[in-house]
Amino acid sequence: MKKRTNLLKICFVYIVVSYFAFVILIPFFWMLSTALKPEGDIFAWPPDWIPDPPQWHNFVDAWKAVPFNKYLLNSIFIVVLGMTAEIASATLVAYGFARFQFPGRDIIFFILLATMMLPYHVTLIPTFLIWQKFGLVGEFDPLVLRAWTAWGPFYIFLLRQFFMRIPRELDEAAEIDGATPLQTFFYILMPQIKPALIAVAIFTFMGYWNDFLGPLIYLNDKESYTMTQGIYFFLGGVNEQPKWNYLMAMSLVIALPVLLLYFLAQRYFIQGITFTGMKE
Amino acid sequence: MDRYLDTFGRWFLTPLLLALVSFIFYFILRKAGLRQRQATGFALITPWIVGFLIFTAYPLIYSLYLSFTEYSLFGEPRWVGLDNYIRLFTQSVEFWPSVRLTLLYAALTLPIGVTGALLMAILLNNKIKGIGIYRTIYYLPAILPEVAVALLWRWMFNSESGLLNYVLKPLFSLFGVDKPNWFGDPDYVLPAFIIMSVWGIFGTNTVIFLAGLQGIPKNLYEAAEIDGAGPIRKFWHITIPQLSPIIFLQVIMGMISALQIFTVAMFVRPTSAAGKFMNQLVYEKGFTQLHMGEASAIAWVLFILILILTLLVFRSSPAWVHYESEVKR
Repeated sequence: MKKRTNLLKICFVYIVVSYFAFVILIPFFWMLSTALKPEGDIFAWPPDWIPDPPQWHNFVDAWKAVPFNKYLLNSIFIVVLGMTAEIASATLVAYGFARFQFPGRDIIFFILLATMMLPYHVTLIPTFLIWQKFGLVGEFDPLVLRAWTAWGPFYIFLLRQFFMRIPRELDEAAEIDGATPLQTFFYILMPQIKPALIAVAIFTFMGYWNDFLGPLIYLNDKESYTMTQGIYFFLGGVNEQPKWNYLMAMSLVIALPVLLLYFLAQRYFIQGITFTGMKE
Repeated sequence: MDRYLDTFGRWFLTPLLLALVSFIFYFILRKAGLRQRQATGFALITPWIVGFLIFTAYPLIYSLYLSFTEYSLFGEPRWVGLDNYIRLFTQSVEFWPSVRLTLLYAALTLPIGVTGALLMAILLNNKIKGIGIYRTIYYLPAILPEVAVALLWRWMFNSESGLLNYVLKPLFSLFGVDKPNWFGDPDYVLPAFIIMSVWGIFGTNTVIFLAGLQGIPKNLYEAAEIDGAGPIRKFWHITIPQLSPIIFLQVIMGMISALQIFTVAMFVRPTSAAGKFMNQLVYEKGFTQLHMGEASAIAWVLFILILILTLLVFRSSPAWVHYESEVKR
């Protein structure tokens, strides 16, 4: 008797869980399907599920319709500089919070966590004015220089938690052997927090690659647009129909590096989000 | 090419400058009598402190000041007192609808997203085979760039040829209603945004709750079973209290991010009759109409709203958030 109810229950679970997985996947399928449709087929009613024949050249055409070569280079430039600076500074700051006692440390850390509540748009205008004073609006600087100041509180938090898990004895042993704090940091602690570093690398990559607001505010010259801004061209004007096949194709292209990263390093993704989501 | 090199040069010099500030700070603190380790700790967090002062503390105060001025980027800000706020509260036709839309959106998205994800996590926690595959699929929308999510759903919701109206067609004809124009119809904009957002955030919450469920000690359930508790009692008296700190954190973070909705709204371009989200208003007033003062005032209203709501959730937490340490007392 018990066995049968269990079997029923498991069947029910599978059906519900699979149903929702299906619901989640359909939009992805629709995205690919639209991306492969010829212009005249997009608005067909009833819609074609599988375009015949699939127009793979849509990807090439969309890429060529807008200077995406240049935009890709711009995006890569921003991502590489931003990521490097962010990881380096966040790790050092987290190390400082995790391993050193100094007056006011806990209050400062509380303030750091509180900045997560601050809406980005409150500081948007004065920050813009600061960069304007420096004469750097329109350059890539506003998007990448600030990364050196470890401006993602989440990353500092995540890394600090990982540092605190490492037994204190490890550092102390190194210090007795005469290592400086920076040596302890590089040779003893860094290898231990590798999973957290990978998680932070993934999240910062996504942050810079997907960013839309930053480029929207600071990059006003078409030469310095990023990938996400490039897509905007296909949206068309007020009375124009958006080019849906190109839009879906380029959305997929933009999502591709992140998707690949996700499938290759899923463990770190999951670790990163569950860690930040669960700890107080 | 020059543009890259210029930025790269400044990018390369910035950490050196920060390191210099750190060193100076270190020596000042040492002179002031701090021990070596204390001063080192300060020196290490100096980059964050510098960034905080320049890019958070100063802009925060400055935007409060700007909200009492009229400023168009040209000339100097002109002090106007409470004018911006008074105009927003009493005259602006866009402001209150925007507050209403933003609050409603957050109030509806959050509970659906959190409870839905919780139920899904509980189902997934049934030791089923292939849980990894399901988790992969559920988390997929969360990694899609916001821009892609917005475009995808704008297309899904297309009234003439969108997939959603096609799939739901039998339902519409059953109730004898016309297929909705979703983002083009002020009555349907909010439901459309909610469907889009829930699809997007669902997976993240599910993965987090799933990890939380797996962390609940098994012996709690075993003890309850011996006492004769059924599945519903176990759910309310073990699962929910054990998970409450995680739910609490997700509610706070979800609320803050829902109230700040911006990028998706910019790409979806819903009908203007539906009103705009508060952050869209900030952007438009500031960067297209160059009313920096009024834009700052709206941003501050949003900030205060977020503060009040966060505080309320925190205040409510002793009533429903359960921490292990309290039991031990």
